[in-house]
Amino acid sequence: AMEKMSRVTTALGGSALTGRTMHCHLDAPANAISVCRDAAQVVVAGRSIFKIYAIEDEQFVEKLNLRVGRKPSLNLSCADVVWHQMDENLLATAATNGVVVTWNLGRPSRNKQDQLFTEHKRTVNKVCFHPTEAHVLLSGSQDGFMKCFDLRRKDSVSTFSGEAPEAGRADGEVLWVCHRPPDVFPESTKKVGLEVSTPPSRPPRLGRRQACDSSPQSLQGLPPWLLSLLEPLTFSPHGPPPAGQSESVRDVQFSIRDYFTFASTFENGNVQLWDIRRPDRCERMFTAHNGPVFCCDWHPEDRGWLATGGRDKMVKVWDMTTHRAKEVHCVQTIASVARVKWRPECRHHLATCSMMVDHNIYVWDVRRPFVPAAMFEEHRDVTTGIAWRHPHDPSFLLSGSKDSTLCQHLFRDASQPVERANPEGLCYGLFGDLAFAAKESLVATESGRKPYAGDRRHPIFFKRKLDPAEPFVGLASSALSVFEIEPGSGSMSWFVDTAERYALAGRPLAELCDHNAKVARELGRNQVAQTWTMLRIIYCSPGLASATSLNHSVGKGSSCGVPLMNSFNLKDMAPGLGSETRLDRSKGDTRSDTVLLDSSATLITNEDNEETEGSDVPADYLLGDVEGEEEELYLLDPEHAHPEEPEYVLPQEAFPLRHEIVDTPPGPEHLQDKADSPHVSGSEADAASLAPVDSSFSLISIPHALYDTRLPPDFFSALVCDMLRFYAEQGDVQMAVSVLIVLGERVRKDIDEQTQEHWYASYIDLLQRFCLWNVSNQVVKLSTSRAISCLNQASTTLHVNCSHCKRPMSSRGWVCDRCHRCASMCAVCHHVVKGLFVWCQGCSHGGHLQHIMKWLEGSSHCPAGCGHLCEYS
Amino acid sequence: MFVARHIAADHKDLIHDVSFDFHGRRMATCSSDQSVKVWDKSESGDWHCTASWKTHSGSVWRVTWAHPEFGQVLASCSFDRTAAVWEEIVGESNDKLRGQSHWVKRTTLVDSRTSVTDVKFAPKHMGLMLATCSADGIVRIYEAPDVMNLSQWSLQHEISCKLSCSCISWNPSSSRAHSPMIAVGSDDSSPNAMAKVQIFEYSENTRKYAKAETLMTVTDPVHDIAFAPNLGRSFHILAVATKDVRIFTLKPVRKELTSSGGPTKFEIHIVAQFDNHNSQVWRVSWNITGTVLASSGDDGCVRLWKANYMDNWKCTGILKGNGSPVNGNSQQGNSNPSLGSNIPNLQNSLNGSSSGRYFFPPLDSPRAGSRWSSYAQLLPPPPLIEQSCDADTASRQYPHPRRRSLSRPLNPLPENEGV
Repeated sequence: AMEKMSRVTTALGGSALTGRTMHCHLDAPANAISVCRDAAQVVVAGRSIFKIYAIEDEQFVEKLNLRVGRKPSLNLSCADVVWHQMDENLLATAATNGVVVTWNLGRPSRNKQDQLFTEHKRTVNKVCFHPTEAHVLLSGSQDGFMKCFDLRRKDSVSTFSGEAPEAGRADGEVLWVCHRPPDVFPESTKKVGLEVSTPPSRPPRLGRRQACDSSPQSLQGLPPWLLSLLEPLTFSPHGPPPAGQSESVRDVQFSIRDYFTFASTFENGNVQLWDIRRPDRCERMFTAHNGPVFCCDWHPEDRGWLATGGRDKMVKVWDMTTHRAKEVHCVQTIASVARVKWRPECRHHLATCSMMVDHNIYVWDVRRPFVPAAMFEEHRDVTTGIAWRHPHDPSFLLSGSKDSTLCQHLFRDASQPVERANPEGLCYGLFGDLAFAAKESLVATESGRKPYAGDRRHPIFFKRKLDPAEPFVGLASSALSVFEIEPGSGSMSWFVDTAERYALAGRPLAELCDHNAKVARELGRNQVAQTWTMLRIIYCSPGLASATSLNHSVGKGSSCGVPLMNSFNLKDMAPGLGSETRLDRSKGDTRSDTVLLDSSATLITNEDNEETEGSDVPADYLLGDVEGEEEELYLLDPEHAHPEEPEYVLPQEAFPLRHEIVDTPPGPEHLQDKADSPHVSGSEADAASLAPVDSSFSLISIPHALYDTRLPPDFFSALVCDMLRFYAEQGDVQMAVSVLIVLGERVRKDIDEQTQEHWYASYIDLLQRFCLWNVSNQVVKLSTSRAISCLNQASTTLHVNCSHCKRPMSSRGWVCDRCHRCASMCAVCHHVVKGLFVWCQGCSHGGHLQHIMKWLEGSSHCPAGCGHLCEYS
Repeated sequence: MFVARHIAADHKDLIHDVSFDFHGRRMATCSSDQSVKVWDKSESGDWHCTASWKTHSGSVWRVTWAHPEFGQVLASCSFDRTAAVWEEIVGESNDKLRGQSHWVKRTTLVDSRTSVTDVKFAPKHMGLMLATCSADGIVRIYEAPDVMNLSQWSLQHEISCKLSCSCISWNPSSSRAHSPMIAVGSDDSSPNAMAKVQIFEYSENTRKYAKAETLMTVTDPVHDIAFAPNLGRSFHILAVATKDVRIFTLKPVRKELTSSGGPTKFEIHIVAQFDNHNSQVWRVSWNITGTVLASSGDDGCVRLWKANYMDNWKCTGILKGNGSPVNGNSQQGNSNPSLGSNIPNLQNSLNGSSSGRYFFPPLDSPRAGSRWSSYAQLLPPPPLIEQSCDADTASRQYPHPRRRSLSRPLNPLPENEGV
């Protein structure tokens, strides 16, 4: 998977680099790599590896193993390696035991070791050759010292101590440093390292700089012109190191442009700038990172630009040319930064890798500090060394890793998180508003469009070439807008209006239907209005009007667990009757379900319904299929269709008074009996009345001959259920639930409990989204589904204090047990509150909602005069 | 008709996600600049940034709200390989005086070894759960066993998808008939074509998620995926943003017909497929009733899709992100002077220079093959005439000059039936 088949030839003046993305396996984990100046060889060093590989077009070829000798010395355990950029034969390694070794590949013997410097006490973290001097080598060690070697001599030429000059200072003190050239100072202060400590009230304390003959002074004693030249040096948040102990050096790098300058980075977050001729003190020092600074790199072209990387996951670019190091860019990576390398020929690009967690190599454009421009994901363990293959070629990157591989990455094969990043965000709001965020270039011009031709990230067709010359278009930014829907056109306001205005219970069915139809019509929802009208016609046709006027027990009936008993008032019945009826009814339900499975339109009518009571008269009426889709007509013999019929004769005996309800006209009364008595619900061959059907009533087609026949509402129940399902599937669960509640038992039995529960839950969720808490609670109350009706039974306990004695009230209501006074007195009008009572949780006083609101508009104190500052929110 | 309200988001890099809360009064945005911002809607309808804080050390890909029953809780996920859960702190503070609210990190989910590309809270009825997916192809499902303690999340399931994941969507259905289900999309762009949408279903028997279905027809990288709000439907609707917009319906096959114990089988139909964006589609989002789908693509446009009662999906509106109205002709890149000149007047009438107005396409007298004649079909009267769904193609055939001047605002859906 690592092998990506692309090849690049880069013209570099006379020479040309060719190659492909490739890797080779090493014997051991690598700690560092370095490239020869010919860009054709790379050296890999680690604790137990030190080899030179030739970089060929297709592969790495091992060229030389520098680990020779029978027993490997600790001197060969390399923490770092560097290849001289002037001399192809000269290498230097930093050993973990503190030894610095140089290697001369020109030696004729197998052992190429040249010189050994054993001056550091601890691991040497970094070695660095001078970019133009052949003999100058610099090392930085864990022991806190940097040493400069002249390879013509046996010992180091000079030692630089990373010991912080502010050692021993207390936190919060500010070190004032001036970095101006000495000649601007008058004779008395003609020293480079003038420094003064503040606060001036305390005697100035100095670190090792006292060795210099700059005399410490208090700031107050300085002339104003000099003060303006001073800059404060802030202390590391970790506080100063104990005096005398040096901070470990993590990196040393010679400046590419300034012959005498090098930078060093420290574990305490500091960066120092040195002049190699002045080992006594650093030129300047500043805190660059929070925590260790693991690496730094000078910009190959921009004189004075230094990139530093730290454990704080940041890469910072400093402009060192100004009199105070200025942070010009800050890149935020996702893990600690172990290595940073500027990309050749790309002024703003740099590559980083991490020493923990993250195995990838990233290339960043420092002007876009959040998203890496490219990412190499080949390594399976921490990447320890990265190097651009040629100082003038931006395409080839080499890397070594703890996973024991050496890789060559081609920039064009890198994955580009920028391209993968989603440039748009889109979200539908509650009322139909749309929030839309899009990359500005996409929405700004038509040219932002890219025709689709396969995936645009596909390397063959659409991969955007990472062209180093490509001008940076500036930081990518997004435009955020909310498209607000205007009321009416598809806004959800109809839902809120409907929910609030629908009547679901408490009135006769006909009135409910009429009311809801009117609401729907007023909101321009004609189909819904029509549906309500149809329901009214079906269930309360004029002939049924008086009977259905008893229908207001829809909610009541269900809440007391007794199915619809239209023709009887519960109180008129014998106590046992209700339960008996219920029992029977449930039997009827079971049966009706089975019947409905057989045929959705099983119905026979009989005009002369009085005599056919009991269902023993065969009916032979033809009826058009209600769906209107099929032309089939059914001829049903009830006795054959329902062989279990006699079983259901019994329930009728539970209604001895049936014929004594005298006032209602025969037809309606009968029908209503049908609706109530269990055996009718099974769509059996009872006669029923059907109101004259309006010819505009398009959903069902009924032969003219049947116009004045009477159909029982149950005839339609299958159709109505289908309709409810239709509304639910269309996303209008409001209609489904509203009809379900209004019709109650008339349809409930035909819809399985699970579906009803699903509808209720969905509708309640919607109502709550719109904060229609009252409607939601009403729906919960009216629902017959146990899972739903328990929704408002939870967390209904309120713990209140008596407003007089401040003690918790018992569950006895609004009279306090202790002071025997009514606790629900309004603090404003001193009357007992009935209805909404609002009280302060702080002082327990309260009263009528309106009164308290009004009071608190004018005063912030409790109306009871207790002095509490009540808050109404 | 829409009015565009532009918001100065002040994110320092791309915004990758916007998300409304449960009640639609708050909005969260997240960006590559590693921050999340929370916006609150004022009485006047303006959006005010009430919080902005650095959430991650990499690009923040997604931000999502938990159900308010669990508090004001957000989850975010990032390129930095983590997902995080945030809670708004109530109480007096200096922040509050400045009109800012304070959000604290409750937990960081660090199980992924690669970029976490999506995070979604499970439907409320499942409790406080969230799912993440990552570029290494693993979907992780976490649960906070104690809903009062947002700092304890346990990793319940790890589902391997084999492909780099880009997006996930929970099936929102609360029906007992529907097992918890999650759809996963992949943006893997390797040439070997594999199905990029997988659907996993929870089995009560094994207490594990198992693959229920794979949408074999989706082989191009998928950038977003969204189940429609269920609202009592017996089936599920799934929108997929890939090289085009696709809408699938998944009808559960009755359990008794399938072998017991195994995952539910679905009858899957593709009910719509639109390439009108003519480019990569990045986002899909459903309205709350699951009847209108909004999609956005590389063309910088938002398109709205709606089905009529015959399940025939049509484009019902196009919104351009920069505030310019889109009519049929601008699709071809033609300038439209007559319509363009109308716009300033309309804007003046709105008293808002930053507002643009959007029109649904004008309803011309229905003409066979004309672009918008299909709107007539959204009204009930059958019979339904099958027509090409590709509105762009249709309009290309009719670059009728007169229609350009007909720019009277139109509500394409005179009724709200089933919206």
